[in-house]
Amino acid sequence: MKEILKKLCIEHGISGSETEMLGTVRELIGGFTEITTDNSGNIIAVMNGKADKHIMLDAHMDRIGLTVTYINDEGFIKAEPVGGIDLRTLPGSPVRINGRETVLGIICTVPPHLSKDSEELSRDKIWIDTGLSPNRVKELISPGDAAVLCSTFKELLNDRVSVSALDNRSGCAVLIKCAQLLKDKELPCRVSFVFSSQEETGELGAGTSAFSLAPDEAIAVDVGFAAQEGVPAEKSGRLGCGAIISISPVLSKQVTEKIKDIAKRLSMECDYEVCGGSTGTNADRIAASRGGVRTGCISIPSKNMHTPTETVYLGDMEKIAGLLAVYVTEGGAENA
Amino acid sequence: MLDYSLLKRLCTADGISGDEGEVRELILDEIRPFADEITVDGLGNLIVFKKGKKTPEKKLLISAHMDEVGFIVTHITSDGCLKFEAVGGINDSAAFARSVKVGKNKINGVVCAKPVHLLSGDEKKKCPPIKNLLIDIGAQSREEAEKYVSPGDSVVFESIYEDKDGRIISKAIDDRFGCLVLIEMIKSELMYDTWFSFVVQEEIGLRGAKAAAFTVAPDCAVVVEATTASDVPFADGAERVCLVGNGAVVSFMDRATMYDKEYYQSALECAREQGVKVQTKTMIAGGNDAGAIHTSRGGVRTLAVSVPCRYIHSCESLAAAEDMEAVFAVVKAAAEKILSL
Repeated sequence: MKEILKKLCIEHGISGSETEMLGTVRELIGGFTEITTDNSGNIIAVMNGKADKHIMLDAHMDRIGLTVTYINDEGFIKAEPVGGIDLRTLPGSPVRINGRETVLGIICTVPPHLSKDSEELSRDKIWIDTGLSPNRVKELISPGDAAVLCSTFKELLNDRVSVSALDNRSGCAVLIKCAQLLKDKELPCRVSFVFSSQEETGELGAGTSAFSLAPDEAIAVDVGFAAQEGVPAEKSGRLGCGAIISISPVLSKQVTEKIKDIAKRLSMECDYEVCGGSTGTNADRIAASRGGVRTGCISIPSKNMHTPTETVYLGDMEKIAGLLAVYVTEGGAENA
Repeated sequence: MLDYSLLKRLCTADGISGDEGEVRELILDEIRPFADEITVDGLGNLIVFKKGKKTPEKKLLISAHMDEVGFIVTHITSDGCLKFEAVGGINDSAAFARSVKVGKNKINGVVCAKPVHLLSGDEKKKCPPIKNLLIDIGAQSREEAEKYVSPGDSVVFESIYEDKDGRIISKAIDDRFGCLVLIEMIKSELMYDTWFSFVVQEEIGLRGAKAAAFTVAPDCAVVVEATTASDVPFADGAERVCLVGNGAVVSFMDRATMYDKEYYQSALECAREQGVKVQTKTMIAGGNDAGAIHTSRGGVRTLAVSVPCRYIHSCESLAAAEDMEAVFAVVKAAAEKILSL
């Protein structure tokens, strides 16, 4: 799992630039699935494509980032957020801009002698400094180029790992592990592993892929809030609990019950995220696709979401991959 | 040209104030064959004497500091997270959501952040103060964390070093660059006998320099530093203080020192003679070890020459190799010139 995750957590593939992930996905499961892409930037890997019953497993592969909007005469680069960037993570942070070459820069900070306590962070004041000459900057970088905060893969104690983009490359890793587990099995249904695009900017890829694939059932895998300082138990699941299972009016009771049942059989403890309305994940879009899709949602507990120090427990990811594999081999929810 | 591979090794070595050992060992290995006398004093300052072709009437000290800003572990919480404080002047934003290394064994840690999704409007617009932040090393209890870390352990930034087109991005350019200049001078043939000090604890109050200046008891001193350049889109005109790419920075005054006027003028002349760019600060800002050295014993005539550096005291700062070369040229020339005054 660690090696899969390391390969996926690259400094590429912000919302709208997901095709940069194609090579990695192909490398990991191209050998035993049929991989296609579509107009929205989704990558879809299919197993047992001839079966009637069709289960879609979704994880969004886009990550949050910045996009270059303007370069000034001194070579400073103006950028704006793509997705829900935490502005607090920006000042003084190293970034990589994926231009003609990959260029390292630093997000400009207000110098100490000019900063006031009242100074507020603003999405309109994001400038990147590469230190290169204005001509060189313009040669290498253009408006529309993507930039991400730098972050290296770090192993903490107890199989915790930290790197940016775990939201939701950890979900993608779970899907890939699940596919590997199913590789030599005879399956009672068709499975589409959807690495969907543009979740962070409005769940576009989940909507378009669910429409095209028209599955009978679907499960979305994303990250969920793990309990930590400032995040109370009622708003989170514990890191190490196995999985956070969503319960929501928009989700299918049959699918959710089936997930709970398998978790119990696998001796997974699990925490629940109960929503009064929609889940805020791709599951919402998939469930409402075409004439409606029976959909469930499982989250990997994650700390420090949307920062370069996102942290998950590899053991939770292993367990969720195992749960999904059982779900598929048993042909999905009963009476579906 | 300066040895930039050595600059990389100096900058990537870890040594916050009070824990400079790794940097000192690296410097010792470099200078041992070239120095005539080496001592390490009670605070950890490295004091070096190098003979020149001539013995001048006056005693010259050239100084740079080895320490960098960072953090220190103050407490381990019951659930195994680490409370910490800043060592040196660090903005709150420099600590938030960073990767760090903790203690002698450099255990991986990350500074935690409550997810942006759960913040109120006001909370989103400001970095929380360092005192409210925690480091997570993955430990699940205080007992487990105590096997790996202790209160008082140093915490350093995980950082990237890159030299592209002569633009250098790294942590700790302040003041490993100064250390590099001193090492290069010790490795070269000098005109005059010279004392060098690689000092500790600049960032927490110029403490090492005070002791080193007392011990060496120089008549004149040159401090080699990195200083804040504020030439970013948020600042205009004089607010920019000094500019990356505009050469060596020679100060007439900062918050800690009124520099010797004759030395200041001499440094400007040296730059002209050497054909390198030189600038002065356009605001009375910052301070360095000159503040401790010029007030030592009966007073020391002091000059500071600095490389302009953006985002100093953060996990990544930025400076230009051409400015570094200019500082090196000015320091070498000024060291000879002020001894002949």
